[in-house]
Amino acid sequence: METNVRMILFKEDQVDQASEAIETLHHHGISDNDISVISGVPFSEKILGRPMSWTRVPQIAVAGALFGFIISMLLNFLVPNLYKLSVGGMPLTPIPTSIVVTFELTMLGLLISTFLGVFIEMLSPSFGPKGYHPKIGDGYIGILFNCPTYADEDTCFELQDLGAEIVDVEEIKQP
Amino acid sequence: MAADVKPFIGSKASPHQESEAEELRQEHLMLDPMPRNEMNQMVMEAMTTTTRKWWAWVIGLGLAVAVLLVGAWGYMIATGMGVAGIRRPVYWGVFIVTFVFWIGISHAGTFVSAILRVFKAEYRRPFTRAAELMTTFGLAAGAIYPLIHLGRVWVFYWMIPYPNARWLWPNFRSPLVWDFFAITTYLLSSTIYLFLPLIPDMAMARDRSTGWRHFIYKLLALGWRGTEAEWFRLRKAISIFAYAIIPVMFSVHTIVSWDFAVGMVSGWQSSIFGPYFIIGAILSGVSAVVTILYILRSTMKNMDYFIRKEHFDALGKLILVFSMAWAYFFFNEYILAWYGGDAALKQVLTLHATGPSAWVWYTMLICNVAIPWLFLWNKKVRRTPWLMFIITLLVNVGMYAERYTIIPLTLGHQRSPFDWGIYNPTIVEVSIALGTLCLFIFLYLIASRIIPLVPVWEVQEGQMSHTLRKIGKTEIPSVTELE
Amino acid sequence: MTELLAKTAQDEKWGMVIDLDICSGCQACVTACSMENNIPFVGEDEMAYGRGMQWMRIRRYWEGEYPEVTPNHQPMLCQQCGSAPCEPVCPVFATLHSEVEKINLQVYNRCIGTRYCANNCPYHARTFNWFDYEIPAPMNSYFNPDVTVRRRGVMEKCTFCVQRIVKGRQQASADGREMEDGDVTPACAQACPTDAITFGNLTDPESRVSKMVRSDRAYKELENLGTEPRVTYLKGGKSYGG
Repeated sequence: METNVRMILFKEDQVDQASEAIETLHHHGISDNDISVISGVPFSEKILGRPMSWTRVPQIAVAGALFGFIISMLLNFLVPNLYKLSVGGMPLTPIPTSIVVTFELTMLGLLISTFLGVFIEMLSPSFGPKGYHPKIGDGYIGILFNCPTYADEDTCFELQDLGAEIVDVEEIKQP
Repeated sequence: MAADVKPFIGSKASPHQESEAEELRQEHLMLDPMPRNEMNQMVMEAMTTTTRKWWAWVIGLGLAVAVLLVGAWGYMIATGMGVAGIRRPVYWGVFIVTFVFWIGISHAGTFVSAILRVFKAEYRRPFTRAAELMTTFGLAAGAIYPLIHLGRVWVFYWMIPYPNARWLWPNFRSPLVWDFFAITTYLLSSTIYLFLPLIPDMAMARDRSTGWRHFIYKLLALGWRGTEAEWFRLRKAISIFAYAIIPVMFSVHTIVSWDFAVGMVSGWQSSIFGPYFIIGAILSGVSAVVTILYILRSTMKNMDYFIRKEHFDALGKLILVFSMAWAYFFFNEYILAWYGGDAALKQVLTLHATGPSAWVWYTMLICNVAIPWLFLWNKKVRRTPWLMFIITLLVNVGMYAERYTIIPLTLGHQRSPFDWGIYNPTIVEVSIALGTLCLFIFLYLIASRIIPLVPVWEVQEGQMSHTLRKIGKTEIPSVTELE
Repeated sequence: MTELLAKTAQDEKWGMVIDLDICSGCQACVTACSMENNIPFVGEDEMAYGRGMQWMRIRRYWEGEYPEVTPNHQPMLCQQCGSAPCEPVCPVFATLHSEVEKINLQVYNRCIGTRYCANNCPYHARTFNWFDYEIPAPMNSYFNPDVTVRRRGVMEKCTFCVQRIVKGRQQASADGREMEDGDVTPACAQACPTDAITFGNLTDPESRVSKMVRSDRAYKELENLGTEPRVTYLKGGKSYGG
């Protein structure tokens, strides 16, 4: 079955109409996998009646923290034993001084891996229809969906009744 | 919810209630929404406008940095540390004072964008990025100092832990190595924390620019479209950062304070140094935010829509609270030494208050305590931007005097009177300190024309969640938790 | 190498006793130390500003009202603390505790010049090379070949003439005997005209140093700080300090 990628835009304050529109699309048999919602301000998925997105950023963050912790353990306890240099009245690998480096490297691991997680998840391919319109930056809510050609006109009319702005197919480009 | 701010839901407003609503609109940015594309336009305009005055400042500051910082520092490297005023027994002087000062200023951004975010203080929204930029550039200016004050700066890399053929690693028991880790962590985290909420604004700027700007923004926007998944991940990451960077911020200035507190120097061996320095840093940082906001508001286009008197008011209250907290910690340290300190410690206190450099001590107390306590309780003063500018500049002068009292003055008056010494800073030290100030302003000026200073998506998010709710006979601003 | 030395050498713990009763404050020790250890001259102005490089200095306090003013001398040098506050704070391990001699070592070619050690020394025993000092001719041909010359940016301090300690050890080993009391004399002890400075091995209970440390007049400077200094002062003259 042939599908077109369509995009409709709602103004920033038409959140209710946007969620109605998504319900309409559901009625027409377009599943959530075939719908992408893009917007200029974050809307929780619950507001628009959409399934929650997934992310692994918290797990990546914890993994990074663990990595940082291990590195700090090596630096604090393994490294001084390679070439023992004794200093005044202090043991070679005292625990109080190790806490500082441990804390800093653990936090560094946590924060850098959070960022790398976001970076990788943003660059990795996403499912759902692709497309973008510059008006999103102006606060509009955009709904992209894979519309089967036979239902094209009906859906368009219904959505326009709700107040949507239908976007020309040529204008739907990746950013 | 929604971007309109009708005073009632349904009924017609009476003239009295309408003027009240109008007042609220003018007062609060969150209750004064504009269409997003207009706000975008304003921010883009502020960012792309470079007047002749701006160019004059940039070129002037660039020259100042080249001469005052690079020139003087190069001279010092070639000739030796002796061109600075340090001597026995004051081995640390203006360089370390200014180092601690800049690290203190850098706590501004984290306080505003992390702590205020965690506490859901809505008024933070328009200036989180301006404050974060202060953190990044404050750290950039401050992180140079551990290099500047080294006697042999060309082998500074020995402080960095890297595997080498001699199996020689830095001494992880030394507070200076802790400094290295703490500042690196804080600088990297801060820069990332600046970048993450910047991504959607980069996308906005990408769509509204051409040429080299478009190229940069497209690169930095990482292909942002604004899908639900992207927002979800970004907000998760920002949330992790906001909570995690607060302990990092506390740890950084605590570790800097431990450079002094773990030493055997009389007057430095104080368990209160950690919290004392943190509170001092927040006081210094928040004051610097107000200083910068005043300059932004007066010099950049359209900023007076985003930064209003309510922000100066709110920050002024915070400064008063932190000034009181600072005074509490200072007095804690003072009375313990005054009452039960040993002879050497009591001598140090006497020197601070009555010695030849006592004017520094008095400057500190007047600027950090007297001036905020005398003026900042007054709402009218807090809501006058130029007065806040002067007060916060003086607070930072006071904080510099505090570090000067703690470092060179204490070092010069230790346990053996034969070894007491007076420290006279030289032109080289003053020049380098001024040079880093010029560097800070220079970097800030340039950044203000490259990235949008106001996080428009956060402002709009805030505006969307604020409404006026009629309760009884009046309208009250109410916030919906959209998150 | 140090392990090898430790096995062949006897137990060493070098210490010094300075008798303040017979110290006349003549500064011969200061001069001898400067000559032995290639200490540069900094000039009058720098000296007045506290940039003197002497590893040994005489602390002089004036007592009494004019005309009954008397000076009170105390030679002060690096105390070679057992629990030295200067050691843990160096970020690059440029100052260490010697395993063999049990004194505090300064490694010139590792020092990057943070000067934290100098701040942390309660005796202010450390000096810093502020410039590359020019030694005027013909003094620049009088250098001691056993001691390096330091460049700018590096900390330095008294080493208990460690070059003489090593020479003494090597001499004893070449002679096939253990080190005896009197084998090693640092420059300051050698030059002192009143023999106020005594140097020796504290682990030998019969050495002169060990006997003098047991004297009733013995005290250690700033002992309450817990630095465990190796230099003991004997009260006397006008010095009754503690």
